[in-house]
Amino acid sequence: MISEFPWLTAIIAFPIVAALAIPAIPDTNGKTVRLYALGIGILELGLIIYTFATQYDFNNPNLQLVERYSWIPQLGLNWSLGTDGLSMPLVVLTGFVTTLAIFAAWNITIKPRLFYGLMLLMYGAQISVFLAQDLLMFFMLWELELVPVYLLISIWGGGQRFYAATKFILYTALASIFILLSALGLAFYGDTVTFDIAELGLKEYPIGLELLAYAGFLIAFGVKLPIFPFHTWLPDAHGEAPAPGSMILAGVLLKMGGYALIRFNAEMLPHAHVYFAPVLAILGVVNIIYGALAAFSQDNLKRRLAYSSISHMGFVLIGISSFTALGINGAMLQMISHGGIAAVLFFLAGVIYERTHTLSMDKMGGMAKSMPSTFALFTFASMASLALPGMSGFVSELSIFLGLTTSDVYDSGFKTLVIFLSAVGLLITPIYLLSMLRRVFFGKLESNGEICWDAKPRELAIAFSLLIPIIGIGLYPKLATQTYDITTAAVAAHLREALPTAVAERKDTSLYAQSIEWKSQTANASPVISSKLVGIANR
Amino acid sequence: MDFNNLVTQLNAGTILPEGIVLITLLGILVGDLIFGRSIARNLSYFAVGGLVCSLVALILQWDNPQPVSFIGAYSSDPLSVVFRAIVVLSAAVTILMSISYVEQTGTALAEFVAILLTATLGGMFLSGSTELVMIFVSLETLSISSYLMTGYMKRDPRSNEAALKYLLIGASSSAVFLYGISLLYGLSGGETTLEAIARGIAGASGSLSLGLVVSLVFTIAGIAFKISAVPFHQWTPDVYEGSPTPVVAFLSVGSKAAGFALAIRLLVTAFPQVIEQWHFVFTALAILSMVLGNVVALAQTSMKRMLGYSSIAQAGFVMIGMVIGTETGYASMVFYLFVYLFMNLGAFACVILFTLRTGTDRISDYSGLYQKDPFLTLSLSICLLSLGGIPPLAGFFGKIYIFWAGWKAGAYGLVLLALVTSVVSIYYYLRVVKMMVVKEPNEMSDVVKNYPATNWNLPGMRSLQVATLAGLIATSLAGILSNPLFTIANDSVSNTPMLQASVQRQVAVK
Repeated sequence: MISEFPWLTAIIAFPIVAALAIPAIPDTNGKTVRLYALGIGILELGLIIYTFATQYDFNNPNLQLVERYSWIPQLGLNWSLGTDGLSMPLVVLTGFVTTLAIFAAWNITIKPRLFYGLMLLMYGAQISVFLAQDLLMFFMLWELELVPVYLLISIWGGGQRFYAATKFILYTALASIFILLSALGLAFYGDTVTFDIAELGLKEYPIGLELLAYAGFLIAFGVKLPIFPFHTWLPDAHGEAPAPGSMILAGVLLKMGGYALIRFNAEMLPHAHVYFAPVLAILGVVNIIYGALAAFSQDNLKRRLAYSSISHMGFVLIGISSFTALGINGAMLQMISHGGIAAVLFFLAGVIYERTHTLSMDKMGGMAKSMPSTFALFTFASMASLALPGMSGFVSELSIFLGLTTSDVYDSGFKTLVIFLSAVGLLITPIYLLSMLRRVFFGKLESNGEICWDAKPRELAIAFSLLIPIIGIGLYPKLATQTYDITTAAVAAHLREALPTAVAERKDTSLYAQSIEWKSQTANASPVISSKLVGIANR
Repeated sequence: MDFNNLVTQLNAGTILPEGIVLITLLGILVGDLIFGRSIARNLSYFAVGGLVCSLVALILQWDNPQPVSFIGAYSSDPLSVVFRAIVVLSAAVTILMSISYVEQTGTALAEFVAILLTATLGGMFLSGSTELVMIFVSLETLSISSYLMTGYMKRDPRSNEAALKYLLIGASSSAVFLYGISLLYGLSGGETTLEAIARGIAGASGSLSLGLVVSLVFTIAGIAFKISAVPFHQWTPDVYEGSPTPVVAFLSVGSKAAGFALAIRLLVTAFPQVIEQWHFVFTALAILSMVLGNVVALAQTSMKRMLGYSSIAQAGFVMIGMVIGTETGYASMVFYLFVYLFMNLGAFACVILFTLRTGTDRISDYSGLYQKDPFLTLSLSICLLSLGGIPPLAGFFGKIYIFWAGWKAGAYGLVLLALVTSVVSIYYYLRVVKMMVVKEPNEMSDVVKNYPATNWNLPGMRSLQVATLAGLIATSLAGILSNPLFTIANDSVSNTPMLQASVQRQVAVK
């Protein structure tokens, strides 16, 4: 199925080409450039939404809008794009968060051309990572945002920015070696050399190779997500990056890790996933509890938020390891919802930083009076982050829990332990978030001679446009889930095929799980039933 | 042997590109004698024109049905065409960037160009020669003119020191190399063409002789000096730091490419019996070069020294392609050398530009350059990031091809080491980029504060600008649009009989 117009290529190329035109824009104080960048961002978001609204079939679990051009046949490298339910929502999220990040960067005065150029470059690069369907091309695109993020942190970052930026690039570059190694290992196995993800998924590997490749991918994506022992770059990078940079880092870049874990580790190597899934669940629990405890001990506002990201990404791991449609669905929803929540929290932290010029919570306090609307928004975002019912975080974490509980793969002792420990993590989350609110907004006003004016319309607009979808998804989750749950159900079914037969034959019989699966199966099944009916009628 | 037969055997048309370079060289010498310094600049443009003509002649020789010439002493097979093209291209770009540099130092330009063309001639003949005497003569032509160029800034003591060091180490390594090939001559029973040597040795002794291994080791020592592989690299940083920068650019690309051409031809053709031994030695050289080059480069404060160590490390990557000895391995080598030509020359053009304006090449002096000269910052950043293998620049594709070929041939350890060391290399390349881009106006170095405004209309600057732009464009696009380059690299290997024979042998052994 090759569409006549290369929509996905256009989505990727548009911001990158627009970024290359920035040096030619006549501008003295950076105002034209920022308008230009924002305009491109909005146009790009419009293009993404238009493409998916008109060209994408939401009832099809397979790859759509596939494009494939031979790039370097000597290497077997193709320019190969495609999208399905796993990548489509994340592309939209990327467009949304990046556009808002450009808008949030209104007050950047140092080297504005370079800043907006890098932002637009990253815009295209991030989207391309989600769309790539060729492993070698994926590796290249994965590496593509190293330098822009490095520059973003080291030019516009906080006091420790060089340290943070260097740590980020070395961690990510070293880890991505493993993507290449695993890719080469898989590609050269068997008779044909191919890097196409679908073809790689069809190959039959010996279990040893599959486990090795899985471990390689896990390290590479574990650094990005991040998974517990590989997380140490994240608090530094997120803490030191400028607010728009943190929005992108937390809102989009972490999702690349989660996306790639589902796409490569689970979907491509299902047999190794059977062995590694319990490990993922345990790592997820460690992430949740460790992230929450570490967040509690941070004095720096942004570092606290960064550790809370680590904690929330643990749920994604548990969802991936659950082997149920519900769990994987929840993992996807958790990534989307965290993308919005983390972005708004980091944005508001940036708003506060612009007033106080400090991120140390010890030096803040009593700001509720002078900045009431910022306070209200921050409270809202924190409530969303601690998974208050009615917010998107609640739905996603609940469905991950349900997914794991209804999973028939693990015995009940393991499930109880995992759920109990993550529930403990869930209890710590409100503690550190509420204490953060208390220290920043309540108490005595720590005035160091600066007047804290309240949020301006621009800032309100950004925060609202992130918060409204969060509440919308929380109240009516189908809004988000129905766009992709056909694919996640297909992924879960694919994963279950790899299970030892004894387990796989026990079908997902839990009534509760089926009822909460938002009728995806019924929607899927109804054409089949109706065609049968037609068949009967014809007889 | 009648006359017609002799003409066929000589097949002198194959050295038409070299002939063009030689005529250009003579023209420059005569023109310089007659008109003196007044037309020196025009003479150097004339030299570039001659090199371009030579390049065209090379392109026409692609797919030559009769590559063997001079009764087996010279071969113009696609591999030699490709390597000669790399040497010619690097010489042409070097001349473009040397005009203003040499003029500013107050030395004679036309003589410099003449010496450079001589070195080019040596490098070109070296890429194609298949006979021991021919190899040695062209190697010496290349080396001696390199010594001269290194010491060209006679009033600069560092240039003198570099020249003396280069001369002493180079002469002794030539002697070692000569000893190695004279052993080869004796062991084969008095043969001088490479294929006859291989036959002679195979016929003389069924088993492996110690003499052959000694000869191999001595030959490799001579070659490793030319491509500055660790541990034969000691001259590189000092010579790179002291000599005029355009010369360094030529040494690191043109001279190195000729060295690799010699390595492939000599080792593959003359030493088929000891293929495992020379693969082993080159594996060791590759590992040492990658590790030492990349690690020591971290600690450098001088830009030219850093590029010197980086070129050692890059040679290590190229050697992987040679060690694995498959068709894709050789092709990845050729491809990487092409890419390396663009990015390294581009980087050197930027360094020359900076040195001309400021007179320094300390890395810390680059800080804050973005504010003063965005074009130079962009070009240097792109070239350095490409050397570090950042996508989507050309260097990334070069490295990927080498790793791809290496993994395919089963050299897992080498590929892993190369990957790790290339991450290390990102750090030191990025450090320069950080200096230029990230530093704020108040952290600007003193030389950058006094940075003169760019004036491209000064004599000689236009050609430097052309060289920089060419490097920039080629480095940014040669990766994304690398399909033609890949085809050239693969065809050059698959159409070269000598490499095909070697690849077949290896397959047969397995």
